[in-house]
Amino acid sequence: MLWRLSSALWFCAPFVVLLILWAVFIPYFDVNPRLFPHLSSVIQAGIEGIKDGTLIQHIGASLLRVAVGTVLALLIAIPLGIAMGVSPIISSFLTPLFRFFSVLAGIAWIPIATLWFGYGFGAITFVIFNAVFFIVTYNTLLGVSTIPLQVRNAAASLGAGRWAMLTEVLLPGALPNIVTGIRTGLGFAWRGLIAAEMIATNVGLGYMLFVARDFYRTEVIVLGMIVIGVLWLLLDRLVLAPIERATIERWGMVQRA
Amino acid sequence: MKDLTIRNLSKTYFDPYVGTNVTAVHDVSLKVEQGEFVCIVGPSGCGKTTILNMIAGFIPHTGGEILVGGRPVKGPGPDRGVVFQSFALFPWRTVLENVAFGPKMRGVRKVEREKIAHEYLALAKLTEAAGRYPAELSGGMQQRVGVVRALANEPDVLLMDEPFASVDAQTRMTLQEELTRIWQEKRPTVIFITHDVAEAVFLANRVVALSKGRVLDDIAVDLPRPRSWDALNDDARFKELSGRVLQLVRSA
Ligand SMILES: Nc1ncnc2c1ncn2[C@@H]1O[C@H](COP(=O)(O)OP(=O)(O)O)[C@@H](O)[C@H]1O
Ligand SMILES: [Mg+2]
Repeated sequence: MLWRLSSALWFCAPFVVLLILWAVFIPYFDVNPRLFPHLSSVIQAGIEGIKDGTLIQHIGASLLRVAVGTVLALLIAIPLGIAMGVSPIISSFLTPLFRFFSVLAGIAWIPIATLWFGYGFGAITFVIFNAVFFIVTYNTLLGVSTIPLQVRNAAASLGAGRWAMLTEVLLPGALPNIVTGIRTGLGFAWRGLIAAEMIATNVGLGYMLFVARDFYRTEVIVLGMIVIGVLWLLLDRLVLAPIERATIERWGMVQRA
Repeated sequence: MKDLTIRNLSKTYFDPYVGTNVTAVHDVSLKVEQGEFVCIVGPSGCGKTTILNMIAGFIPHTGGEILVGGRPVKGPGPDRGVVFQSFALFPWRTVLENVAFGPKMRGVRKVEREKIAHEYLALAKLTEAAGRYPAELSGGMQQRVGVVRALANEPDVLLMDEPFASVDAQTRMTLQEELTRIWQEKRPTVIFITHDVAEAVFLANRVVALSKGRVLDDIAVDLPRPRSWDALNDDARFKELSGRVLQLVRSA
């Protein structure tokens, strides 16, 4: 526990140093606020945004899109990946395709997404969906194909039928790869989200950043950047990384980094 | 527990590298009585794993028949428990859950199947490890789990494919002694595959020598039980039997 606390503090230390440098040097050199804001005005903008609800609204819109896009993607990607992974021929045939789309997934889809869904929720959720879907499908496929044949044989000779094979062997066996896929996919999704929101909507953190630029409101821009970064770190460190640790490392299925 | 009958069993593989058919098992016939411990011994590549995989139902046979308790084998099933050289434990399940897996598949309720699992873990002196994950155990401990996982499902026949080949020599001797002790207590029908002649003679009631996919001969082992390496290392009868099996295997 003490160790966890000190490692968390150590993680925060460079940010604290950065904030101190910011608080000291921006006023010291009298930097034009149209180029870079004072720390105090960013804090001010944050408080105002919370008070009048706009910041919360933007955060809420962004998180909702990520949640919907991700859940939809997982609902389809995991069963599909497992189905494909069961057959070595299908999985090796499709692997290059999913690799290709994993790399492509993200903002490259925005133009076509806006043509299909118009500006707003649909297009952006589609971008998130793509970012998560291809990577998670590919990783699930990979995960299933890494389960040793003998482990599947063992389950079969202990009486596992089709359904038990799926829930007791294929799913947990692929889980390390699935979790890694979700973590990577969400990383791409989060970046894609911000970019998509700059182009294709009128609410959300990306939109907030982009509009503030038109009014030279650097304090809002920087506030947005901080919120985007902090939200991701919280999501990754407090949700995704612990899941990976709790299951996978204990199972000894991936080496400790 | 039931008996096992193999009649004129054969297996022909298509070898994609050579582009021709390779016959790995020729016309093998074998009868294993209920409660018997049979070792199949032979050099690597002689078709041992192929025979075992066909009995387990993991691969189809191309000729002959396999009957367990009179019924033909079609695919894997809980009447034939398997212990693998690679252990093949479920890494995402604790030791207890691994052992309770078979009963769970049979629909045994949680309290009941954990009781069964604990019973079998105690048999292999694994009580302490019940809550651990396989990755946290040594190879020898993992294979103990592999053996009792198969036994806890109370199969008619227990199939073991070089189960102790990947543990160190000291541990192997302990595991062999424990296996003979557990076998005496539970009396399962066992087919145990090995390339190690001494191991075969130490464990078996009967040793079947295999070479190039054919059965050479069948040698009864009349050594008294319980068996221990301390007692058998210098035992004249053990040496004589081992010598005979070795000669048989090497002569082919
Ligand atoms: N899947 C396969 N395809 C083609 N040939 C195989 C296959 N499996 C085994 N063989 C061949 O069958 C023979 C017997 O193999 P195996 O049963 O594994 O022997 P053992 O277990 O006694 O070492 C070997 O010559 C091996 O190359
Ligand atoms: Mg073999």
